Amino acid sequence: METSNVAIQQQVADNTSQDVSKGRKIVRPPTLRIIPPLNFCPVERQLYRSGQPSIINQSFLQQLNLKVILWLASEEPLDDFLEFCNDSNIKIEFVGLIDETYGHGQMNPWDSLNEGTIKKALELIVNKDNYPLLVCCGMGRHRTGTVIGCLRRLQGWNLASVSEEYRRFTGARGGRILVELLIESFDINSVSIDPERLPEWLK
Amino acid sequence: MRIYNPKPQYVPPLNFSLVEDGIYRSGFPMPINYTYLKQLGLKTIIYVGDLGHDRKKEKKEKDKKDKDKKEKKEKKDKKDKQSTEEIMQKYREWIDTSTNITFHNLLMESSQEPFNSPEILKQAQESLSKALQLVLDKRNFPILIHSNKGKHRIGLLVGLMRKLLQGWCLSGIFEEYEKFAMGKSEFDLELIECWQPELWVEDEWKPDFVRV
Repeated sequence: METSNVAIQQQVADNTSQDVSKGRKIVRPPTLRIIPPLNFCPVERQLYRSGQPSIINQSFLQQLNLKVILWLASEEPLDDFLEFCNDSNIKIEFVGLIDETYGHGQMNPWDSLNEGTIKKALELIVNKDNYPLLVCCGMGRHRTGTVIGCLRRLQGWNLASVSEEYRRFTGARGGRILVELLIESFDINSVSIDPERLPEWLK
Repeated sequence: MRIYNPKPQYVPPLNFSLVEDGIYRSGFPMPINYTYLKQLGLKTIIYVGDLGHDRKKEKKEKDKKDKDKKEKKEKKDKKDKQSTEEIMQKYREWIDTSTNITFHNLLMESSQEPFNSPEILKQAQESLSKALQLVLDKRNFPILIHSNKGKHRIGLLVGLMRKLLQGWCLSGIFEEYEKFAMGKSEFDLELIECWQPELWVEDEWKPDFVRV
């Protein structure tokens, strides 16, 4: 135990000094500060989640080179956000606005996602042609949490870990039991998948 | 097109998350998490914490001091310490025998803020610098960085990474820290704000997310 630690510490020291001889010294943080959107977090390689980005997040979003944004809120996003996506050639998929029973714009913002919407969202996520991809809703809490939660089940995660992750993003008022129930009961076999188009981490 | 058959169940470690492409964070991995960790194909694990370091000398002194007073409590503490050390040992065995992962054990005591001694702070800074230096070289990727609970020590390391290497604004960094600390946001955020360690980067091996 003791000797292996010494060896490891030595190894670290060697690594560092090697960098010292070759590398470039970092003297300060990057001068341009970037501002992540509310509730931003990477989910998997080139897959991100967040709340609705605003104008101050633009230089942050540019770093991600997004191809598609999966919009889960039932309301339309703000105009400057639509404009930004348009200018940056980012395609927005309005999954949350679609409702088979009531048609467009008939849903309440506080309603949970229905199974059809989750299925559609997941089918976009399991297709690597849509990457780099950002999944978002108004606050990045419940709707985004539902879809990411179902994705985790599709990845074979146990439910306790899925809930832990969901609650991490729900803020002080905590998770909603209905969302967790939705994640638990979602039939992951209903998602149709093209094995050719699966992202690496899902294989 | 086909219907997808779910894989066997995976249990990711406590407070597990992707930080950037090729960097994961978590709490202490236990045997229940090994199947999940294996499929990540990790090359490096960095542990910042207080387990697996030789503490005999320190302990002896402490034993002598507290012998008369809190003998009962002392015994209990000792027992707890021993079982965590045993877990650490088994974890190291798993890494050495069933993976090809390079393991770095970087000593960092848990914060006793506001009563942190200068020595403890110095040790923490040394370890954090080493960890940041390893993160700056993509030959070490994929990396798992973990502490015991995946809250404070790792939160601090990720916060430093966000600021020093990526140039995130501090409010975004604190929001992320808070998410994992879960209301127990307690310490060292000023270290993220004020500290500029000496770091070196080789452009050839610089990870894509680094903006310096």
